[in-house]
Amino acid sequence: MEDHTQITETLIQGDDEKLIILVQEALDSGANPGKLLNHVLIPAMDVIGERMESGEMFIPEVLMGARAMGLAVEMLKPLLGDGESSSAGKVIIGTVKGDLHDIGKNLVSMMMESAGFEVTDLGVDIAPENFIAAIKDQNATIVALSALLTTTMPMMKATVEAICESGLREQVKIIVGGAPVNQSFADEIGADGYAADAGSASKLAKSYLN
Amino acid sequence: MFKRMEGFSENDIDKIHNAVMEVLRDIGVAFHEPEALEIFKNHGFKVEGRTVYFSENQVMKALDTVPSEYTIFARNPENDVKVGGDNFALLPGWGAPFIIDNDGEQRNAVMEDYENFCKLVHTSKYLDMNGFLMVMPSDINPQESHLDMILANILLTDKAFMGSPQDRSKAVDSLEMVSILWGGKDKILNKPVLPSKVNPVSPLIYSEEMVGTLIEYATLGQPLEFPDLILSGTTAPITLAGTATVMMAEDLAGVVLAQLINPGTPCVIGGNTCATDMRTGGMALGGPEAIKIIHIIAQMGRFYGVPTKSGGSLTDAFFPDMQAGVESALSMFTSIAAGSHFMNQSCGILAGFNAMSFEKFLLDEEICGMVRKIVTPVEVTEESIGMDQIKRAGIGGAYITFPETFKKCRTELFMPEHATRGSYETWAVQGKKKVHTKAHESLIKRLDTYKKPDIDPSIEKELREFVAQRRAAISK
Repeated sequence: MEDHTQITETLIQGDDEKLIILVQEALDSGANPGKLLNHVLIPAMDVIGERMESGEMFIPEVLMGARAMGLAVEMLKPLLGDGESSSAGKVIIGTVKGDLHDIGKNLVSMMMESAGFEVTDLGVDIAPENFIAAIKDQNATIVALSALLTTTMPMMKATVEAICESGLREQVKIIVGGAPVNQSFADEIGADGYAADAGSASKLAKSYLN
Repeated sequence: MFKRMEGFSENDIDKIHNAVMEVLRDIGVAFHEPEALEIFKNHGFKVEGRTVYFSENQVMKALDTVPSEYTIFARNPENDVKVGGDNFALLPGWGAPFIIDNDGEQRNAVMEDYENFCKLVHTSKYLDMNGFLMVMPSDINPQESHLDMILANILLTDKAFMGSPQDRSKAVDSLEMVSILWGGKDKILNKPVLPSKVNPVSPLIYSEEMVGTLIEYATLGQPLEFPDLILSGTTAPITLAGTATVMMAEDLAGVVLAQLINPGTPCVIGGNTCATDMRTGGMALGGPEAIKIIHIIAQMGRFYGVPTKSGGSLTDAFFPDMQAGVESALSMFTSIAAGSHFMNQSCGILAGFNAMSFEKFLLDEEICGMVRKIVTPVEVTEESIGMDQIKRAGIGGAYITFPETFKKCRTELFMPEHATRGSYETWAVQGKKKVHTKAHESLIKRLDTYKKPDIDPSIEKELREFVAQRRAAISK
């Protein structure tokens, strides 16, 4: 395989314009789009994830990388062969009913997108039935629930229960997050996982793929 | 200006000034050095025994020649330090016989500790210059250790530094060594390169050692700092107004002598004055009185047109714990916010000056960085208002995705190196490290990556020869 170090570095630097040029050059010189995606771009995003976790990279830098990644994926998507997918999985995300806070939820959404997930962000104040409709509609495998207020935490429980009653519980992993939430609350309401911040949320989602 | 923290009104300042003048006129100040008494006599001052009396005219005339701003030159010109006006300098701790380690154990400081502190000063983003006697090295004869400390100051960092005030001969040695560094005594005459402290003994005394030091530094026009340490209720009245009166009288007496010797010699007045702890008779360095007097010092300095020193990261605590953090941050913030100019003790000091802590040094640095950030004027331009961003984000948009945020995410905001932020889980997974533990870890890294700055080998050789020759003479 050719040396694509420059593509890796450019993606990590979040330089989208340069990245598109480099990816096009690689394609022009005969690089395989699937290999480019899976062996160059996604591993570069993994490096970004690690550096964010260690504090070396800051959130805006990670997001710039994610944006550049998104553009590169858009270029490669039409060129991928049958059976090759650009998506790591489908995620439904939203802030539960009664809660209008979305900064954390938006960050999680962006981080998951940058990790290769196809994310449907329902927004804020989302009723359980809307989560259920979206799971069906998108055929999602991960549902991420957000709440900032202690008063809306019970709605997380209600949403998880509604998903169970809808018969979709086996299809999805449910993860929860937000300032007042912790692992024991997640366990208590029957969620599959809890993440403390955006970086670990996307890492958690990835762990369900294996 | 919002005046809640200011100690004195203008009317109060006049009253204090009149009281200071009455003290200098009627009680006087003792100078335990005949040469100083001769200088005062020759300039027409009333001298009885060792006591010198000052008229208001004599004091105000002397104050006329004190520079309100000056530059201290470093061997690396990038590290020159401006003092006075809006400029302030932060320096490390001073005078500790002990080290308190990361386990809270106290031990005697040694020369290696002194050298390590020099390395930290050299690599500090937030300290402007080095001091002297950050710790007293117990493994070297105290009659010689000033030579080693000055040599370390010169060789291990290219920032400016201070000289020994311990006695006259050590002041002379310090000045000889910087003369070698700068290429001759004529090169440093009236060029500030080696400030020194001169401590009055409160109330109203200058010892033989201190006056000898003052004479040596002033003769070459080197800056003098009068770091008065009054304990309210012990060496001055228990009230802040009375304390301020005694402090200013002592400081101004020293300033006058410096100006008589060499008019224009830079001076800095003020100190680390604080309350007496009435339960033990010791210092209450981290108490609110010590904070309040910082404003008073700055006000009096502005009144007399003399730059001031105060505060630093002062604490009575014995470990870099919450007490140390609170007291240090209040003291450091107040010193800078009040408008003081010269802050020794900005990093590392613990236990009411008795100990230095490497970990606290790094944590204090972080406070210094925060305070510098707080007092930096806010830039207001079209770009900094960012109306185009505000319009782009509209209602409910996310600025964190904007290229403007990306571009400035490392430069616009203060990023602590040791303070914990983020989530409890991350903190827990990483071992629930308290801030002093983090400081201890980065200390090791920082010392490992230190690189000694270059110096002309012939200068280093000459300095080492001087030290060897003086050491031989002293130990005879």
